[in-house]
Amino acid sequence: MIARRLVAVLFLPFLFCGCAQEAGSMAGTTGKDPIVVGFSQVGAESEWRVANTESMKAALSEENGYELFFDDARNMQENQIRAMRNFIQQDVDYIVFSPRVETGWDSILQEAKEAEIPVIVIDRGIVAADDSLYRAYIGSDFREEGEKAVKWLEDILEKQERTGEDIRIVHIQGTLGSSAQISRTGALEQAIQRNANWRMIEQECGDFTRAKTYEVMGAILKRTKDIDVVYCENDGEALGAIDAMEEAGLKCNPEDGVIVVSFDATKKGLEYCFEGRIALNVECNPLQGPYVDEIIKKLSRGEQVERKKFVDETLFDFYTITKGMIEKRGY
Amino acid sequence: MAKWWEKFSRSQLLVPLSALLLLVVYNLFRDIGFFSIILATNNDGNAVLQGNLISILDGASELAILAIGMTLVTASSRGQDISVGAVAAVAGSVFVRVLRANEITLPIILFAFLAACAVAMLCGVFNGTLVSVFKIQPMIATLILFSAGRSIAYWINGGATPTVDGPLINYIGKLIPGIPIPSPILIVILLGVLVSLVLRFTNLGLYTQAVGINEKSAHLNGINPVWIKLISFMVIGVCAAIAGAIGVCKIGLINHEKILLDIEMDAILAVAIGGNALGGGKFSLKGSVMGAYVIQALTTTLYSIKVPSTSVKAYKAIVIIAIVVLGSPMIKEALMQFRDKRMKPAIDKLFRKTSDVVESQ
Amino acid sequence: MTSNLDTRGRVPAEKHKEPISNTNLLLTITICTFFGMYALAMLVWGGGFLNPQQFLDIFNNNAFLIVISCGLTVVMIAGGIDISVGGVTALVTMASVVHLNGGNGSVLGSLGLALGIGLAFGLIQGLLVSYLEVQPFIVTLAGMFFARGMITIISNDPKTASQETFLALKAFRIQIPVIGYYGKAGNFIPASIEPGVIVAIVVVLAIFFVLGWTRFGRNLYAVGGNKQSALMLGINVKRTKFFSYLLCGLLAGIGGFVYLLHTGAGDAANATASEMQAIASAIIGGTLLTGGVGNVVGTLFGVLSLMTINNIVRASGLRDPWWQSITTGLMLCFFILLQSMVLSAREKRGSFQIPGWMTFASRRIHHES
Repeated sequence: MIARRLVAVLFLPFLFCGCAQEAGSMAGTTGKDPIVVGFSQVGAESEWRVANTESMKAALSEENGYELFFDDARNMQENQIRAMRNFIQQDVDYIVFSPRVETGWDSILQEAKEAEIPVIVIDRGIVAADDSLYRAYIGSDFREEGEKAVKWLEDILEKQERTGEDIRIVHIQGTLGSSAQISRTGALEQAIQRNANWRMIEQECGDFTRAKTYEVMGAILKRTKDIDVVYCENDGEALGAIDAMEEAGLKCNPEDGVIVVSFDATKKGLEYCFEGRIALNVECNPLQGPYVDEIIKKLSRGEQVERKKFVDETLFDFYTITKGMIEKRGY
Repeated sequence: MAKWWEKFSRSQLLVPLSALLLLVVYNLFRDIGFFSIILATNNDGNAVLQGNLISILDGASELAILAIGMTLVTASSRGQDISVGAVAAVAGSVFVRVLRANEITLPIILFAFLAACAVAMLCGVFNGTLVSVFKIQPMIATLILFSAGRSIAYWINGGATPTVDGPLINYIGKLIPGIPIPSPILIVILLGVLVSLVLRFTNLGLYTQAVGINEKSAHLNGINPVWIKLISFMVIGVCAAIAGAIGVCKIGLINHEKILLDIEMDAILAVAIGGNALGGGKFSLKGSVMGAYVIQALTTTLYSIKVPSTSVKAYKAIVIIAIVVLGSPMIKEALMQFRDKRMKPAIDKLFRKTSDVVESQ
Repeated sequence: MTSNLDTRGRVPAEKHKEPISNTNLLLTITICTFFGMYALAMLVWGGGFLNPQQFLDIFNNNAFLIVISCGLTVVMIAGGIDISVGGVTALVTMASVVHLNGGNGSVLGSLGLALGIGLAFGLIQGLLVSYLEVQPFIVTLAGMFFARGMITIISNDPKTASQETFLALKAFRIQIPVIGYYGKAGNFIPASIEPGVIVAIVVVLAIFFVLGWTRFGRNLYAVGGNKQSALMLGINVKRTKFFSYLLCGLLAGIGGFVYLLHTGAGDAANATASEMQAIASAIIGGTLLTGGVGNVVGTLFGVLSLMTINNIVRASGLRDPWWQSITTGLMLCFFILLQSMVLSAREKRGSFQIPGWMTFASRRIHHES
């Protein structure tokens, strides 16, 4: 019994430790009237997402005149509703959120509208019954990214004079239902229809992760190793697919191996691109913070803002990428 | 022969072995190529064994390691540790954190691993104290780290998917040049030998069982149940650290949300398939490890018949139910009775006949 | 731990003022902690915590969790466990959405589907656990795997319900006229609750009644407390266990429908890890996993406490994403330790005190016979 009490005493400080830290971080609020923003991030499933979060946090910082409430929904719609309701109760000035699914947000957006809190949607688009339910959308033009990728692929295959032969394509899809997946898949599927020699031999979901894609690609390679192109929908998937292919003895490069197409252009992805293991990496810019900052500043001055704003994006391929480009990447 | 059969049909290994056998037979009929193993050369020019069997052994490594720890915890504390996945994520994060702070050399890897082990053991001590000193049900006690662990892992690195790179990392996660067998398999073998040696030359196994069967009488016999439970939770901590480190090395990064996700469920399942009672007491490490391979073999088989990765769980559930129902006390008893009444005379007759034949020759 | 058999003989002899039972003691602690925590939050952070809508939103956002936690409480009181509830909830959302979006889907049809799926899971799991004596953890683990797998077999991508009657029901709000708050423009916004909350409250009351005032409820406590003595008291242990799983499955089905009323989408990620949240709520509410002790009102306060701590973390400005889970873990740790110490202190202090459920169950049964 003495032992039990002794250990209890040892545990208690840990509990209070937590409380003390909670209290400590309260002290940091500034004297001026900051703009209060609630940001519901969908999760922290990839480096891209973390770079996105970091960019938001940096842009909506205290020095910039903001107070930010941040919530990570751990990939659940339920948690996002929870967080947004909480922001409404906290009486924030703006709500920013990156939706988990495209539809079903009407009632919560209505609640925000009643409380007169403008909502800004980032990253993934939503379909709402009434357009006035949200003020602005900031994100990537996923369809354009997909079109850029297939255009490059068409060009490179023409340059290599392979328009006559069968091009066997493995397609690793992202999390099904996300707008990035729908748009990037759409671009590829349309390209397959207009190029008679392109064959989609396998189409599997890699869930935007390296581990999952490694598993899925491993299974595909057991069925066939005759692959010309692997079209992955983000860098995580590309890295997983390359791991699996190299283990199975396939070479990944645009010259005499498998052409790997990827999206995102994270630092790691660009390093692979420099080595040629990823032939093409289309940028998907996560640095949306400054754009959000600009829109909020405009809105609070009472100015008009664009409803839909696409962030600037470029593409990197094995032939044009330089070491300097990689070093400039912060994520 | 008849005796052997009788012993086997009562043995713990009956369930996992027959499940494995069934999978093998099914695959034999489906596609004999499933079993082919080839010696290929990978991109770095190293020889490597490839094939479904190798990928089953390789893929089940983390699970097998955790199943060992889970068996000990189950046996001693009559409950399960559901925080192993989270603790593995914490340990993996510590491992990555240390590696990223230093240049990756062999001593640094060893140091990082020891740091991961220390943190994981601390988690084990936390769980173990709640269970042994405060007499809290293991599942409830480990629920704390289950819900907080992955967030702690996130906290440690402060980023979603920090990466580690280098040939040494690949040696651990994939291959050591010159040895064509994937390293995780070797690690499992090493650990298995180590644990069975410890159990053979110490009384730990016996004590664990004694505590699991009857704590009071174990205490009266001079065994301190608190220590035994604490040790078993520390062991599972080390197992989680090893599994976490392998998981990190396999793909060169750690994703706190995804690494070894749901593995606690699979590990408990492996223990159950291995014929161990989840109510503690007598245990068989062999059974649990075999259970782990059964689970992985099932997954690989499902993949190879093109079941989408997301729906594998549903098919797995059906097989689990079939296995546990066959192993359930009621059915087992019914089967035993059936065997004693019908099969035994038949088998005896069969063996008598053969022995008659032998004798008459 | 508590050895119930030692003191069993003393039950009829006890005449003096009855000590508070363990169930009630743990319940009191939980309720006090919740109100203390909420009052503290109101004092320290004010703002949203003073707004009645924020309190109601805890119900709005967690109605499904309250429902499935009730189911788990029932199973846990009977000494079992059911970790399939989250999976069943998610499966129900997906199946119902597919039904609703199909040609002639109706709200009643999808409700029937929800109850049917829940009952089917409860039935099979109950049979396996109680009559075939398979370990409940493994059976319900398989149930969870099956449910989660089936969702992706039905549809891999999230689906949103588009049937109009359903959408109308989903958008329906019960407005409470007097209380409310003022929006940015000074407009009064009355407080409102979702239809799912009514369902959750009804479920809590129903289970509260079942546990306290029916023979089945008393049998649950007896079976969970001590199987052997329950058998000796002539209780059908197997049947009692079976019905506890059946009830839990049914509640998981209802929980799924409530979830769908809340989000309106079927998604494989729905209700992830909610089984563990439900277990945590039940434990914070004073239900012991060992069985025999627990109360559904405590579970309700368990859910409220868990969610309030999340609100506090948000309000306190701990911006990093990891704090919510870590504080949840710390709170769970606090309650578990508290319970363990309270129970062990009571066990030591008065040897005359018998565990609360024993007086409860045996006294009532005594009356009956």
